[in-house]
Amino acid sequence: MEEDVKVLLIEDDVAAAEMYRLRLTADGYSVVMAHDGQQGLRMATEELPDFIYLDLRLPGLDGFEVLERLRASTTTMQIPVIILTNYGEPELRARGLRLGALEFLVKSDTNPAQLSESVERVVGPRPLPST
Amino acid sequence: MAVTDLASVWDDAPVAHEPSRDLILEALRLASFLASTDTSRRDAWCLLLHSDVLTCIASSEPAGTPGHGPFRVSEHAAFDRAITAGEIVDDGSQAVLPLRGDSGVLGVIVIAGEGGLDDRLRATVATIAGIVGLGLTQASAVTELQLEAERSRRLERLKSEFLNIAAHELRSPLGIIRGYASMLGDGVLADLDRELALSRITEKTEEMARLISDMLETARLETLGLELELEPIDLLEVIDTAVQAMRPLMSVDHHFALAETRDEVAVIADRRRLTTMLTNLIDNAIKYSPAGGEIEIACQRGEREATILVRDHGIGINAEQAHLLFARFGRLVTPETSHIRGTGLGLYLARETARLHGGDITVMPTPGGGSTFTVTLPLA
Repeated sequence: MEEDVKVLLIEDDVAAAEMYRLRLTADGYSVVMAHDGQQGLRMATEELPDFIYLDLRLPGLDGFEVLERLRASTTTMQIPVIILTNYGEPELRARGLRLGALEFLVKSDTNPAQLSESVERVVGPRPLPST
Repeated sequence: MAVTDLASVWDDAPVAHEPSRDLILEALRLASFLASTDTSRRDAWCLLLHSDVLTCIASSEPAGTPGHGPFRVSEHAAFDRAITAGEIVDDGSQAVLPLRGDSGVLGVIVIAGEGGLDDRLRATVATIAGIVGLGLTQASAVTELQLEAERSRRLERLKSEFLNIAAHELRSPLGIIRGYASMLGDGVLADLDRELALSRITEKTEEMARLISDMLETARLETLGLELELEPIDLLEVIDTAVQAMRPLMSVDHHFALAETRDEVAVIADRRRLTTMLTNLIDNAIKYSPAGGEIEIACQRGEREATILVRDHGIGINAEQAHLLFARFGRLVTPETSHIRGTGLGLYLARETARLHGGDITVMPTPGGGSTFTVTLPLA
């Protein structure tokens, strides 16, 4: 698919990652997943996704460190990032947005459909569903 | 004659309270003064020793004077008598006076000089010892109150932190349940994915139920205590139930290794609570071995007690921190474990459960990495 829109999910909770992948795939996006911060950074560089969903609490590098490094690298600095976390504290939200996240979503308040909507809003109209 | 307190020793002593400290120092100053009014004893001095450690906590000698005057440390027999019998022990040139508090002898005042104690001085110094004893008693009472207040503030803080952690722990499965429910509602899932969604919802509902039950159990333990529903049970059955319950939580990289004992291991126990105790230990083993590996579970029958081992080959714990694992609201968070979810209640409740049954749980590092939890329970 030449119009493939690729989303990278950096999420260590396997059940959550799987759920978001199902939804994004159902909405026609191509999804790659990383389960820790280091792997996330590597995949961001190698896969050059169009969009990144980033968890905060991750093994090794936490989400903020990942975001800082993504922003510091010329390869990945332009990739839109949305933070998707269980932690909704205002100071974390402020820090995430200051570091350049586009949005800060709290998982339990976020319908998986919103993930596709945000990608569509930023990257442009979604491709036709593959099924 | 300057009265000098030895600040560092004093700070460590369990009487570090300002008003009482001043009172004690005044009393010592007075005692030294009285002892030195006799012209034959210009070199008189006194000091105050803590009864437990015989450490000097105040002295009429300037700090830094080697040995604090002609004080003969080797004469422990005199201290022992003064402390155990509460007697004044006077050998002519050195007198040891007990300081009596509510709970016995708190310390001793040592007065030394060439001429010993005459009756007048002995009476005066005994009065002073009384005042110092009272000061020490008050000081330790105040210190105890301060410590109690500090403990209570600390517990309050831990409880707030715990509420915060627990809320986030509940949010995580809730997010999955809501997410899948909304996807089922939207009808975007294929048949197979619908089945997966339903099984995830069930799993996460159970996770929430376990969390809530742990929280309620802890609250109940604190307020009313737990009443066990005792019955004769076979430990192997309980292990089997717990293993089956936790199997869905394991990743593909985990596998159970169950020791092949098939003889019944009979105990008198609360079946439900013992199962929860084991599921908590297995849950812990799964969570703290994120790379997968073997989770060994073995049950052995000893002469008087049964032993259950739950061994993982995961992150492991530092032996010095092991006792913190079982603390209420005391989840051990290190850089290696900060991303791992958990309230810390599971292990606390597991140990309380074992203890309520007359047993215990201990933890040791697994050789080569990981942790081994050992549960002991009395046999029926």
